[in-house]
Amino acid sequence: MSKPIIETKDLTKIYGDIRAVDHLNLTVDEGEIFGLLGPNGAGKTTTILLLMGLSMPTAGTATVVGHDIIRGSKEVRRSVGLLPEAAGYYEDLTAEKNLEYIGQLNDLPKIECEKRASELLEEVGLTDWSKVKVEKFSRGMKQRLGIAQALIKRPKLVIFDEPTIGLDPAGTKEIRDMILKLNREQGLTVMMSSHLLHEIQLTCTSVGILNKGKMIVEDTIENLARLFSENQGISIEFKLHNATPELFKEIEGIDGVTLVNQQNGVLNVGMKRDVTIEVSKVITKYGAEILLMKPREYSLEDIFMKYYEDGVR
Amino acid sequence: MAGSMTVFRKEMADQFGSKRFLILLGIIGLLSIISAYQGVEYLKNNPQRGFLAIFTGQGFGFSFIQLMVYFGPIIGLALGFDAINKERTSGTLSTVLSQPIFRDSVLNGKFLAGTVAVTTLTISTIGLMIGLAIPMLGFGPTIDGAFSIISLTLLTILYLAFWLSLGTLFSVLTKKTSTSMLASVGTWLTCVIVISILASLIANAMVPLPSFQGTFTNRTQGGGFNPEISTEYRALSEQRFTIQSSISKISPTNLYSEAASAILGMAQSRAGFGINNPSPTRTLTLSQGLAASWANIAAIAVGLVICFVASYTKFLRSEIRPGG
Repeated sequence: MSKPIIETKDLTKIYGDIRAVDHLNLTVDEGEIFGLLGPNGAGKTTTILLLMGLSMPTAGTATVVGHDIIRGSKEVRRSVGLLPEAAGYYEDLTAEKNLEYIGQLNDLPKIECEKRASELLEEVGLTDWSKVKVEKFSRGMKQRLGIAQALIKRPKLVIFDEPTIGLDPAGTKEIRDMILKLNREQGLTVMMSSHLLHEIQLTCTSVGILNKGKMIVEDTIENLARLFSENQGISIEFKLHNATPELFKEIEGIDGVTLVNQQNGVLNVGMKRDVTIEVSKVITKYGAEILLMKPREYSLEDIFMKYYEDGVR
Repeated sequence: MAGSMTVFRKEMADQFGSKRFLILLGIIGLLSIISAYQGVEYLKNNPQRGFLAIFTGQGFGFSFIQLMVYFGPIIGLALGFDAINKERTSGTLSTVLSQPIFRDSVLNGKFLAGTVAVTTLTISTIGLMIGLAIPMLGFGPTIDGAFSIISLTLLTILYLAFWLSLGTLFSVLTKKTSTSMLASVGTWLTCVIVISILASLIANAMVPLPSFQGTFTNRTQGGGFNPEISTEYRALSEQRFTIQSSISKISPTNLYSEAASAILGMAQSRAGFGINNPSPTRTLTLSQGLAASWANIAAIAVGLVICFVASYTKFLRSEIRPGG
């Protein structure tokens, strides 16, 4: 059994009339890459701020790395690294000095700070830029410096708030690879928030979908996909040559087929149980050829949109 | 405490390396040279006054005390007005506060660094003035005078630290640096100009002066016209002055100038309007001066503490959201 590293219990934050976080129950296990997914304004950033003690909860409790987020806030901050959304740097200081300052705030001796700073700058590929003022940095470089800043305290858990926002595809990939590497090589637990489904799908092992401050669903990505396809039945995509309208009618008549639709030359057949063989028999009977046939996989996007719509309703 | 010292060291490097500090140092340096010259001129014309008069004597502009009255608030506010909100808008505050430090360390470190900066400004200004005045005059302060100068330095530091803490409070209360700068400018105008105008307006309303005929008693002796101010008029003027100076005490600048004059051995010279006989300035010893001004000093110190506590309370409870 893996140990939970973040556990929230009915965590609630109310701003005026808005419930930014509403009775949130969330568990992140050690060693995971946990994705906090949700549309803008779902409460992702607020949740992270509450966990880091930058904001006080209205109600509820949470423990992070074994410490209460209110009473043990300082201890939490000692062992959790944060890359905040829209992280800022001291623009008139060099990358190295920025890092060393954060190191010193963690009570690290000067020599240790310098050592770790140069190691981390190497790791995030900024060694050549270590003596350059941050004002000259591109967005992607700043984000990599931010990751180094989160890591200088040698945390047990790192939280990245929208780590790839505003980056180009190459920059996004760099950050993603870095997160995966940290998790695999150092066994670091990562929690990241994003509104980009694709991003979460590529990086995370588990995901929690947040909407209007509430946790809608929390599971591993595979489980979610399985759960979803079970509810929706099986769906197969066919690409056909010489297809006729009679053929589609015949397929609709097959027992077990629930849905037939054709879009951009692709035939989509939904079925209650696997009747793929019957469908292909009918297709060949009408003299049409199957160019391509594949089961339709549900992406996180489908899952997300479904839950999102449910949330809206 | 370790957190405070880390913030302090960084802020020190920031303050002393900043163009803002250099500009302030330049302005203050230049103005203090001018006021040193004036003080020396004044002393040459009034040789009966002691060395300390270089800080109060004015020929054609600012004495040191007036310099501090007008520019002191600018120094303190300029060093403090963006202490917190600049970090808030630039996004560094959330990074700093997600480290294992207490929030008050940030305020302590910043305030301490600011205090060191104003101390440096004060000591270099006063040092510069003394350094210029001694060779020009050919003599220096007496032992008592030296103690008075030390007291003046400490008072000035306290006064500037008050403005620094007010600036810091503005930076905690507002989200944007432009707002806190506007608040600082407004406060400066209020303390330096508006309160004085208000004081004379109120005094005028409460004790209206009689029409021009009542101003003079015309004693014709031997056919000559010898106007003298009537005692009635003089009493009214005194009354107005009392009202005016009590209202002015709202302003820390007036508290400072009164206290500084007393420490330098001068009772505040009466600046009443239309009085043509200069009121005699008493000379006080340092202990008398301190005794006369302790209430003013205490008031400035209390103001500092209030601003600091208010900044603390607000900052400790504030939400640190990225980008403000």
